[in-house]
Amino acid sequence: MNPDIDLEMLMARYQQGDLAAATALIHRLSPQLHRFFVVQFASRGDADDLLQETWLRIHKARHTYRSGEPVLPWFYAIARNIRVDHYRRTSRTMARELRLEETPEVQAAPQLESGCTPNLEALLAPLPESQREVIEMLKVAGMSLEEVARATSSSVGSVKQKAHRGYERLRERLNGMGLGKERTGGPS
Amino acid sequence: MKDKEIDEILKQTAQAPHDVDPTLLDRVANSIGSSLRPVRPLPPVWVLTGALILICVAVALGGAARAGFYGIQRMSDLERALIFPALGILVWLAASACVKEMIPGSRHRVASGTLLGTGCLSLLVVFAALFHDYRTVEFVSAGVVCLVVGLLIATPAALLSWLLLRRGFAVNPVAAGLAGGTLAGLAGVVMLELHCANFEALHIMVWHTAVIPVSAAIGALLAWRLGSRSVSGARGGAATDQTVAPPRG
Repeated sequence: MNPDIDLEMLMARYQQGDLAAATALIHRLSPQLHRFFVVQFASRGDADDLLQETWLRIHKARHTYRSGEPVLPWFYAIARNIRVDHYRRTSRTMARELRLEETPEVQAAPQLESGCTPNLEALLAPLPESQREVIEMLKVAGMSLEEVARATSSSVGSVKQKAHRGYERLRERLNGMGLGKERTGGPS
Repeated sequence: MKDKEIDEILKQTAQAPHDVDPTLLDRVANSIGSSLRPVRPLPPVWVLTGALILICVAVALGGAARAGFYGIQRMSDLERALIFPALGILVWLAASACVKEMIPGSRHRVASGTLLGTGCLSLLVVFAALFHDYRTVEFVSAGVVCLVVGLLIATPAALLSWLLLRRGFAVNPVAAGLAGGTLAGLAGVVMLELHCANFEALHIMVWHTAVIPVSAAIGALLAWRLGSRSVSGARGGAATDQTVAPPRG
């Protein structure tokens, strides 16, 4: 069965109050939503909190999903909203802190080790937030350009541009690590 | 390095398992399950858009009926044929944008800011092309009256629109406020074009058009304030949620 149709069916049953469908959606989509938060430099602990908050907001807003529309952009649009709120809260808290030593620690960007295959967070770390989220949605969540445009409230052209710029940076980064040379020389 | 190779590396890294604590998922499922009941999905976009257009037209017509249709009576056929269709298209675009801002994951053809900018600009072009009386008799006093009347008409249009869309969920409250304010402001401009018989070019271009950005700014500001409060409130809310779903061990 087409996974998108499967998700649509689960969402429709969730709207009808079916607990099994809600639980299935939670187990199916949580890993990718969690990864979405981790890729945006959230620690695993923060990502857990954000995931929990996302599901509570999804639950509150579940009536705004309309059957026949793609499911993933709807979920990701809400997850983005949670991430923005989290960012605002954190910035506000940090601005109000009087003593520097009491400010929450900002997680350092994961570092790449040259020579070995990097993990996703380290690979995307040098990209600006907008490019990182677009590449994460396109290449990790497997969404189409149109779906990413819907999730980010932007145009397909803008998504393409961000993905292209992100790829340019990734290319520089990977070439710098020597990964490009190894792969270019290998069988295609 | 080619794009395909980058794709391959991303694919490989994305395939690495990313597990979430199963107890966390159970907690989420339990907290959702406790308040799970059937919900009525929002009506289709075209229904909501149509209802918003009706609200705008009804409020503008109601206001003009009360104040008098002096403006449209004094207009030439060409003026009527250009001004009202232009306003109609803008109302339709603003209503559509407003609805899409309230539904997560909707397709956004025009951003709220772009709609506001191009809407004002296109009205200015239409007004500049049609009105050539450049006298400025009582420019400020007569203009402020029109601005205030336009905003007074925009207020019920905004309130009724909010009532209609209150079940929606704005992922970007400021953009939603901007779109709602633009729509309400357009209702004010429609009423002014129906009522105001002052055809001085600068009066119409400055004071009538100004209703839209002022109304949009008020809408965005209100939405930003409400959004800030809900973010502050979410901190308290998160604490409450943690009583339902205990914090990580």
